[in-house]
Amino acid sequence: MWAAVPSLLLRSSLPPLPLGQLDQQLRLGFAGLRRFSTSPENIGNRSFLDLQEVEKVLSDVKAGDVRIIPAGKHFEWADYMVLATGRSAWHVKNIAQALVYKAKQKQKGNQQLILPSVEGAEGGKWIVVDSGKVIVHALDEKARAYYDLESLWLSEPPQKELNQDLEKAFVKIRPKNNSKKPAKVTV
Amino acid sequence: MIQPQTHLNVADNSGARELMCIRIIGASNRRYAHIGDIIVAVIKEALPNTPLERSEVIRAVIVRTCKELKRDNGMIIRYDDNAAVVIDQEGNPKGTRVFGAIARELRQLSFTKIVSLAPEVL
Repeated sequence: MWAAVPSLLLRSSLPPLPLGQLDQQLRLGFAGLRRFSTSPENIGNRSFLDLQEVEKVLSDVKAGDVRIIPAGKHFEWADYMVLATGRSAWHVKNIAQALVYKAKQKQKGNQQLILPSVEGAEGGKWIVVDSGKVIVHALDEKARAYYDLESLWLSEPPQKELNQDLEKAFVKIRPKNNSKKPAKVTV
Repeated sequence: MIQPQTHLNVADNSGARELMCIRIIGASNRRYAHIGDIIVAVIKEALPNTPLERSEVIRAVIVRTCKELKRDNGMIIRYDDNAAVVIDQEGNPKGTRVFGAIARELRQLSFTKIVSLAPEVL
């Protein structure tokens, strides 16, 4: 539920303005805009890489075993998780670089470039490219088998049932009785 | 508010059970670490037959603190325990799963890997 709130706020505070007006806002001291652009969390609906572009880039760099997982019960803080396997550390780094390059190409000519945040780029085992709504995980084969992210995201989260049991237990112990008559004992 | 000598729980399946903070990474004379900070810690208790052993020195990211975390919108988050996730030098988590609720500030602090392993994001 909370994931929806910042994007709505952002939408109302940032209507699509022509560039001249945007400049004016910046000059008037609209300081929030710059802060929004740096963190992937607050970009909201203006995600700079959509799913088709990510798929195309991944097929262009020959990333293996691409798997797209839409947001389900397990995570709601992003729309899509994309998993891709690279053959070597170099290949994994190349996948990340290609995605960043694509984001740059897409925003060519804009005054303000918004780049996705890249995490783990020096290692090359597991690189996460976080572009707001679509999050791309590029892993090498060992890391992919070790972390086994598919089974984590595709399995049913067990905690929900536990919460339901807890709620039932509370209902049994404390039945609502707003009337002034004495409560009937149900067997 | 984690400082050297603070004991922390481990919120992943790396095999360590309890950590003790011995240094906070950042400034030279930093006093306290909060959610999203990296600390150097020593393993005080570990499960048998796991890659991590007792008295090993590792790095960890703090994911839960008893000290409350304030957000700009006025929300305050406070956990019941101090907990950390063991990472290596590159920032990859040692364990494959993270337990318990995780604050979404970790994503902004570029720990998306830990957030994506977590079962619940607050």
